[in-house]
Amino acid sequence: MLTRSLKIGIVCPYSWDTPGGVQNHIRDLAEFLIASGHQVSVLAPATDEEKLPDYVVNAGKPISIPYNGAVARVLFGPVAFSRVRQWISNGDFDLLHLHEPAIPSISLLACWAADGPMVGTFHAAAKRQKIIFAIGPILEPAIEKLSARIAVSEAARLTLIDHLDTDAVVIPNGIYASRFHNGTAQNQWQGNTVGFIGRFEEPRKGLSVLLDALPLIARFAADVKVFIAGPGDPSDFNKNIDPEIRNRFNFLGKISEEEKADLMSSVAVYVAPNTGGESFGIILAEALASGACVVASDIPAFDDLLGHGEFGAIFKSEDSTDLAKVIIDLLGDKEKRSKLAIAGRERGQSFDWETVAQQIYSVYEMSIVGSEKVKLASDTRSWNRFLSKDVR
Amino acid sequence: MITNWVLVAFFLLISLWYLSFLATRLDRLHHRVETSWANLDVLLQKRAAVALEIAHSDIADPASSLLLTGAAYQAREADIQNRSAAESGLSGALGLLLEDSQHLATPASNALLTELSALTDKIRVAIAIHTDAVTRTQMVRSKLIVRVFRLAGTAPLPITYEFESDVL
Repeated sequence: MLTRSLKIGIVCPYSWDTPGGVQNHIRDLAEFLIASGHQVSVLAPATDEEKLPDYVVNAGKPISIPYNGAVARVLFGPVAFSRVRQWISNGDFDLLHLHEPAIPSISLLACWAADGPMVGTFHAAAKRQKIIFAIGPILEPAIEKLSARIAVSEAARLTLIDHLDTDAVVIPNGIYASRFHNGTAQNQWQGNTVGFIGRFEEPRKGLSVLLDALPLIARFAADVKVFIAGPGDPSDFNKNIDPEIRNRFNFLGKISEEEKADLMSSVAVYVAPNTGGESFGIILAEALASGACVVASDIPAFDDLLGHGEFGAIFKSEDSTDLAKVIIDLLGDKEKRSKLAIAGRERGQSFDWETVAQQIYSVYEMSIVGSEKVKLASDTRSWNRFLSKDVR
Repeated sequence: MITNWVLVAFFLLISLWYLSFLATRLDRLHHRVETSWANLDVLLQKRAAVALEIAHSDIADPASSLLLTGAAYQAREADIQNRSAAESGLSGALGLLLEDSQHLATPASNALLTELSALTDKIRVAIAIHTDAVTRTQMVRSKLIVRVFRLAGTAPLPITYEFESDVL
């Protein structure tokens, strides 16, 4: 279906060598587009030039700044700006795809510097902040240069409407769904088991909500076990866990993608108790695709992803009693579990890259008009028009 | 005395730069409105063509075929004043037909229906892009400074069409 071969420039605002949702999304998208016959160049900040894949162009060393309650590794400044301009003028791109152009990094710089077909993707979902009154007027002229805006979730779209007063097309993040279909159930993870994957040390991942729910769950399902996978040091948690239930927790450490698929298809329920700060929930989409029965907190992104309970069970965020109730109910009802899992699997398939990339590509098509290419912006555009030189 | 003149000159330069910046911004926005409309227009024309094909296929009974053919021709021929009503009419006719044609599916008609639904998705995106460009432009053009200095020049004020909110 992807017909015409395009030259696409993608800008990643965050450091390429720090793991993160936006970086993963860009990597997968770039690789998918290349595999479908397009030419792709990704501009990203990076510390270690050696490890970059050959489609990534290094924009310089990232700077760590506090942003939105976390430390973001971004890049800006005069040197970065001239690198961005150089990349644009050398690239001869048909289209630029800028990620998170509303944060102070090279995506915003590229948006300032370029003229022509541009698509912006907004990932973040955040509550309205006062600071937006101050930075809005600066961002507006840049953001309105984008021919089309994409939001990765309904939550991200609402943030965009709220902050920048502009609408967007919702296209979810992509996953390679087929990699999760072939998970094989492992005996040691089956039975009355609960799975959790993620950087459990971060409070917003909500592992402590699950911890608090366990004593109650154990009262109703005596043989319940919890498997926790993800990078991090479990000793802090081990200290705080009630000794009576400590033996029910198994920390598996960091696991491979295949093991992830196996774990998800083995456990009775997969839990995502995140307390916030999540805009899409890629891990939840993966769990759905693997055919797991999913339980998640009711934060907007998850509620939306699970179709308000149609594709997975939902509990009140940060309420461990409610979580316990939902899990006890599911552990005792095999039929309900498999019903949710079947509905969820189909939902997971709709996030497959085949579908998602096709949607992104049709936005590309609509942004490209004729054979107009991306070029450096000229500040004298209106003067040229005034003196009736046609700049189009 | 001289410092005063320097200040005035500086202020004038800044204002001139700002005016020129605003004019550039507006010019870009007008360009965006035109291109997004051109996109939408092409897609709507394609939809009318597919609707005609559906009208002539075995999906439509003679009565709906008549209705659909009429609506599709109107959408194709309509001038700018009647365009909105004509596109709404076509959406309505297609909606009526699709509602009760779900169960009769032959491979040939299925291909047409898939094409129509792919087109509908694209039209939805194109409408979102066009409406956004229009409302943005209207916002900037409503600024006092833009009106006083006539920065929009002779470009007509862009509008959204009524059918864009109720279509599909």
